[in-house]
Amino acid sequence: MASDASIAVGDWHPPNSSRSIPARLLEQGDGLAVEAEGVALNTALADKIEFSPRVGSIPRRLTFPDDSVFETRDNDGIDAWLRLRKGARTGFIHGLEAFRFRLAVFAVGVILLAGLIYRFAVPALVEVAVLVTPPFVPQMIGSGVLASLDRTMLLPSHLPEEKKQAIEAGFEKLAAVSEGGRGAYKLEFRDGGSIGPNAFALPDGSLIVTDDLVKLADGDQAMLLGVLGHEIGHVERQHSLRQIYRVAGVAGLILLIAGDVGSGVEDILTQGGAIIALRYTRAAEAEADRRSVEIMRAAGYDPAALARFFTRLEAVTGDHSGTSMLSTHPGTPERRQDVINYARELESRAPAR
Amino acid sequence: MTVVDTPPVAAGRFPRAAFTGSASEYFGIWIVNVLLTILTLGIYSAWAKVRRKRYFHGNTVLLGRAFEYHAKGSQIFIGRLIVIGALITINVLGIIHPLFSLATWLAILIGLPWLIRRSLRFNARVTSYRNVRFDFVGSTGGAFVAVTLGSMVAFLSLGLLAPLASRWLWRYILNNLRYGDRAFSADPRLGALYRAWLLPVLLFVLGGVIVGVIVAIGMTSQQTMGEPNEGLVLVIVFLPYLVLLAFGLVGLIYRTGVRNVVLSAALLDGRHELLSDIPRLRYAWIAISNVLVTLLTLGLMRPWAAVRMARFTNEHTGIRIHGDLGEVASQIEASGSAISAEYVDMEGFDFGF
Repeated sequence: MASDASIAVGDWHPPNSSRSIPARLLEQGDGLAVEAEGVALNTALADKIEFSPRVGSIPRRLTFPDDSVFETRDNDGIDAWLRLRKGARTGFIHGLEAFRFRLAVFAVGVILLAGLIYRFAVPALVEVAVLVTPPFVPQMIGSGVLASLDRTMLLPSHLPEEKKQAIEAGFEKLAAVSEGGRGAYKLEFRDGGSIGPNAFALPDGSLIVTDDLVKLADGDQAMLLGVLGHEIGHVERQHSLRQIYRVAGVAGLILLIAGDVGSGVEDILTQGGAIIALRYTRAAEAEADRRSVEIMRAAGYDPAALARFFTRLEAVTGDHSGTSMLSTHPGTPERRQDVINYARELESRAPAR
Repeated sequence: MTVVDTPPVAAGRFPRAAFTGSASEYFGIWIVNVLLTILTLGIYSAWAKVRRKRYFHGNTVLLGRAFEYHAKGSQIFIGRLIVIGALITINVLGIIHPLFSLATWLAILIGLPWLIRRSLRFNARVTSYRNVRFDFVGSTGGAFVAVTLGSMVAFLSLGLLAPLASRWLWRYILNNLRYGDRAFSADPRLGALYRAWLLPVLLFVLGGVIVGVIVAIGMTSQQTMGEPNEGLVLVIVFLPYLVLLAFGLVGLIYRTGVRNVVLSAALLDGRHELLSDIPRLRYAWIAISNVLVTLLTLGLMRPWAAVRMARFTNEHTGIRIHGDLGEVASQIEASGSAISAEYVDMEGFDFGF
């Protein structure tokens, strides 16, 4: 270097121009000067000059107050000068990024953190969210979903009035022994059309029973109530609200780290997240099945009545399959056996009243 | 190199872009980005994006000089905050009342051209080369024709008119792109776009036949043997994913072919020729193997994959300056807020070059 105060060699651009002149950056008193072949092109106080932060070894830009720019590939020269002037804190992030053993520790840390967040933080946040959700939210979700289902898939029920009342009366006894009590639930009859024999619960406590389900029961009232007990279980444990929050939480986690994984991998992670969410649905179904047994027993009905529903469902749909990774519900034969086992277990624990 | 893509005769005389970054250097930047993003509960992700973008722009070297990315982390952060807030509100309202989500999506659909135009402008204005910023001067009406009308035409014609839509889109993008006070122009020929369309269509038909054969075999074997074959069931369960993957792949090959045609037909300042000659099948192979390697290494090889892809595309992109580019002057326009750019980015539209 010709001058002992020379900091770096690079190119100088006049303000907003593509023209460039090979130049040198020099220290000059309190400031910096750019000069080419002994001619000063620009000078400024160091504090008025904007230094672009270092990223890898891409060119560094020094923007002068008049918008002229000195660009250099000599990152080390600039860093050495900055450290002398401003202390070791400059380039902290770049220091972390240097390819050293420390990065391996960071990598392990990232994998562990992501695992911990998925395993503990997401479930915890789901519980917190469920706790702080004001009661009007499930109410509005329930009435909103029912209204849109009525418009699209459901038709008014064709069941005779006395039939409905009989089911209603049986259900009252069931609801009375549930956690929410009689007022927490509302029974709705609908013609489900292509949905077939089914019942489902909305977060506000509305339980929808399709005509086909009543037909499938074929007068077996206890069996029908067993299914309703299962739906009460879903409402008590707020399964649908939990599911909504869980999906949002996993999506948030993916979004958190996704910016840097590429769009192809991001899509796969989102799909994978959906498959993992199904595992929670299966757990929720099993939980609701057991709750049905408990409620039915408490109300004085046959605790294992739900098992008869599974037997009939198998006969109608021909579902003899086991549980696979992709099913929302556990396999029907497996659920029937679980219901019978749980009913027996309760029986042996406390002999019938 | 490949049977389907022969570079133009004169391609040898085109100066090519290069990528000067390395996987090990980017690994440090990437892992620190992810780590700090998790530790700051996502807040750092905006600054992480700036570092990532600066690394890739700054290592894209054309005619001896690098590009630069100028967006500020705070700008991106505010943009993301507003977009995420809006998306959460829309989703919550959508759960509460389905009709509401319909209305919002309709509004976004109508507002999309505006968002896309603003996003293109933001991305152009925060990019510079040789101290001169890019700019985008397209109108909202133009975006409506290029994006909304174009994708409707492509969709309704079942892809038969996709080259027409691509022509609209790229004419809108390139003819409104400015480098300082110089304009880009492009008038890609429809015939060339249809030639680029042929290979992906053939692959699509071939894929459809293979899927059809698999399904047919599945049907007959179930009828003859009664018991479904385990492996076959697995194939059929994952069939939707395979179809999606194939669809994505065909889209990738098509978009690459279109990029080759439109960039090779583009001029800067009316005379300097641009060139893109990416071999499509090798591009597809790099994209697929990148995703596989990333997944198999729990994401740790993602930096290697990203650098590999950047190097490959840069080396197949070039520009030939006729005469002298002269001094290009730029007026630095305020980049505006990053809201629309972040929204368009999150929705996964990609108009990058």
